[in-house]
Amino acid sequence: MRTWKDRMRHSTRGLGFVALVLIVAAIFGALEPRFLSYVSLNGIARHMAANGLAALGLTFVVIVRKFDLSIAGVAAFCAMSMGALIAAGWPLWSVILAGLALGAVIGGISGIAISRFGLPDIVTTIAVGSIGTGLAFIYTGGRSIFQNFFTSGITDLNDAKLMGLGVSMWLLVAIYALAWFVLSRTRTGLAFYATGENPMAAHFSGIATRRFVALAYVLCAMCTVLAVLLILAESGTAETNKGANLMMPAYAGVFLGAAIMGGTSVIASFGGILLITMLLDGFALMGLPYYYSDGVVSLILLIGVLAFSDGARGTLEALRFLFWPQKPTKPTAKGSDA
Amino acid sequence: MGAPVLIASDVCKRFGPVQALRNVDFRLEPGEVHALLGINGAGKSTFIKILSGALQKDSGTIRIGGEDVHFRAPEDAIRAGIATVQQHPELVPDMSGLDNIFLGRETASRSLMGRIDREALEARADALLARFAVPIDLSQEVGQMSAVEREAVAILQAIAVDGIRVLILDEPTSTLTDVEREDLFALMNQLRAQGIAIIYITHQLEEVFAIADSFSVFRGGACVARMSVDEARSSGVSLADLMLGEAVGDIFPKKADPDARGDVFLEVRDLSLTHGFENVSFTAHRGEILGLFGLVGSGCDELAKSIFGVDPPDQGEILIHGRPVSLRKPREALDAGIFLVPGDRRTEGLALSRHSLFNVPMANLRRAAGGRWGLKSRQLRSDIQRLTDQVALHPPHLNTPASGFSGGNQQKIVLAKGLYSEADIYIFVEPTVGVDIGARAKIYGLMRDLSERAAVIVVSSDCDEVHGVADRTIALHKGRHVEPESGVFSRDDLLMAGIMGKGSL
Repeated sequence: MRTWKDRMRHSTRGLGFVALVLIVAAIFGALEPRFLSYVSLNGIARHMAANGLAALGLTFVVIVRKFDLSIAGVAAFCAMSMGALIAAGWPLWSVILAGLALGAVIGGISGIAISRFGLPDIVTTIAVGSIGTGLAFIYTGGRSIFQNFFTSGITDLNDAKLMGLGVSMWLLVAIYALAWFVLSRTRTGLAFYATGENPMAAHFSGIATRRFVALAYVLCAMCTVLAVLLILAESGTAETNKGANLMMPAYAGVFLGAAIMGGTSVIASFGGILLITMLLDGFALMGLPYYYSDGVVSLILLIGVLAFSDGARGTLEALRFLFWPQKPTKPTAKGSDA
Repeated sequence: MGAPVLIASDVCKRFGPVQALRNVDFRLEPGEVHALLGINGAGKSTFIKILSGALQKDSGTIRIGGEDVHFRAPEDAIRAGIATVQQHPELVPDMSGLDNIFLGRETASRSLMGRIDREALEARADALLARFAVPIDLSQEVGQMSAVEREAVAILQAIAVDGIRVLILDEPTSTLTDVEREDLFALMNQLRAQGIAIIYITHQLEEVFAIADSFSVFRGGACVARMSVDEARSSGVSLADLMLGEAVGDIFPKKADPDARGDVFLEVRDLSLTHGFENVSFTAHRGEILGLFGLVGSGCDELAKSIFGVDPPDQGEILIHGRPVSLRKPREALDAGIFLVPGDRRTEGLALSRHSLFNVPMANLRRAAGGRWGLKSRQLRSDIQRLTDQVALHPPHLNTPASGFSGGNQQKIVLAKGLYSEADIYIFVEPTVGVDIGARAKIYGLMRDLSERAAVIVVSSDCDEVHGVADRTIALHKGRHVEPESGVFSRDDLLMAGIMGKGSL
């Protein structure tokens, strides 16, 4: 599908990404040798699975050029709902299906409100997310749920290994592969991208743009449910604040990946979330308090997006004058003009 | 009348290979209403954009009150005393007329925290209204106002600046009713009485005699005539004759053989859309190009979009291959075999940041996937390669984003998209706006090729284009279609039909 030159440019970005991952790993490894231990790497893989699923859902929403700020609320409500079902003795598979269905309904509500009724995406998803956060308390009034967790088999999602790799990582890889196929190799994927690139032109091309916007929110909420499922599996309890830490890594992964790879895609999100998870875990291992690490990672996200984006490059050029003031700019001219 | 307020001499402007203005000489007397006439592409818009500072002239001089001026931005023109009201004025609908008039100029001090002194503002408004008695309630929100009231607000906004000597009005009447037009003329008379000279662009020739003192005619990028209305009246010169030049013939393909005309592919019966068009009927056949000529506001654009299901008609019937259909959205129109090459390719036709491989299959994803779900990449690529070769995309790069192509080549990508969708009724809206001569000829040729297997309809506000490329033409005037009395429109008759709504001169 590509010319030689394009292929080069594309693989250069990919290679740059791999190099960045290796550099980050080397720096953490040098500062804290435990970072590269089997236990630590396995932890990164587990955290990446949860973060990565949330980021994948968000990828669909970002492709249609919208935002979803309900991730934390959806995660909290669905976590408590699934916890309550496990405590009630439902078999694991039915708990997962019920959780996914609940997520689909919540995502559908946001999606239809935004696409069909034209509500602003940010306000709508903040509202839906807050409602979810509130509803998370209806089962136990805020106490954690842990009954039946160890007999239900949910912890196997965290502990079981297949060919040396945790099953959660396999789940991540399988779902990413499916999403990659859909978004880059099917007409559905083209329609998603067309909806985001120019909804008017897509509409004139007979693409049901509203449907794809709504579908993006449904998929985002369902992926969030899978992500929080893995968090439940890791901690062995359902708590109302589960999923509160999904949102920042998801946005950071999607946008950092897009900045480095030159566009939002499944592969970019995968790379982005790998980097972000390494940073989060690395800082945690070095003893950086969790209340700082979010801030540090977010700062890295901003710098990364700025450094890699084409639009921001011009701004960086302009900022250069701050450090080499002999270049011909006259910041005082503005003042005298006014 | 004294010294001219504005003199332009030898003004030239070139866009790439197109000489938009050649040695334009222009003169405006103080306090006169001066009409600017000319068909589309004659250079009127380019010229007023230069006068208002939106574009820069390549060469020539502009003098205002005897002083040489050079405008780098619209602010420069306003400072020199030239105010412009665009064809569709940008006003804030949620704010009152008064607030719109002084938007951004509320206080004398320019500081960010400067308080808005409402009393001073109202005093300024009173002073303005004392000069120009406009019978509108300026405390009303602009969104609630009628078209002529909005136009008046835009004019007051333009002249609220001190020292305005020249006011440019770009087709102010195109959206007004006859009664509203009289109100606007009353305001223009007041402005004239205050010594403000008005440059007035219009396509409605009867208005020239109703309001103007004098007029200039643009043709082919040059100002070919300047005379007073009295002169024109006494000499009996025809404005239409002045506007028409020699028709451009060579870029158009051969006309179709009338005997080769095939079946009726599309028939439209008494189609109506509120605020769009009324009782429009026509047929489009395979083997011919049907031309639909109409000015801005004639309902042409609305008609095309209505047939394509973007804004379905209120009344009337659409028949495809003789069967009545109801098209409620573009998907249904595409399934019925209609493809619309939209008038605004940048917002309605293309994903600009994406390449041809993305844009071309967009309207027929089913074909791109060979009826299945997964895309057939290799087949897709070779199909698109063939189509971009066919439309002569230049440069022939499949991976360059659409934004990286010239207007003409962007249009060729839309054309390739249309060809890929395999429709059998093609509607082209303003197909060559912003397209250079070479690409125009290619696009016309492709339309002719297409007409051998499909019905082709060309909708345009460019009379030469419609007459040049179409085998059969009708005009749309104020939402109603005008058919030739003798069966065939001559170019001049077509122009008159579009401008005046009459079947002959």
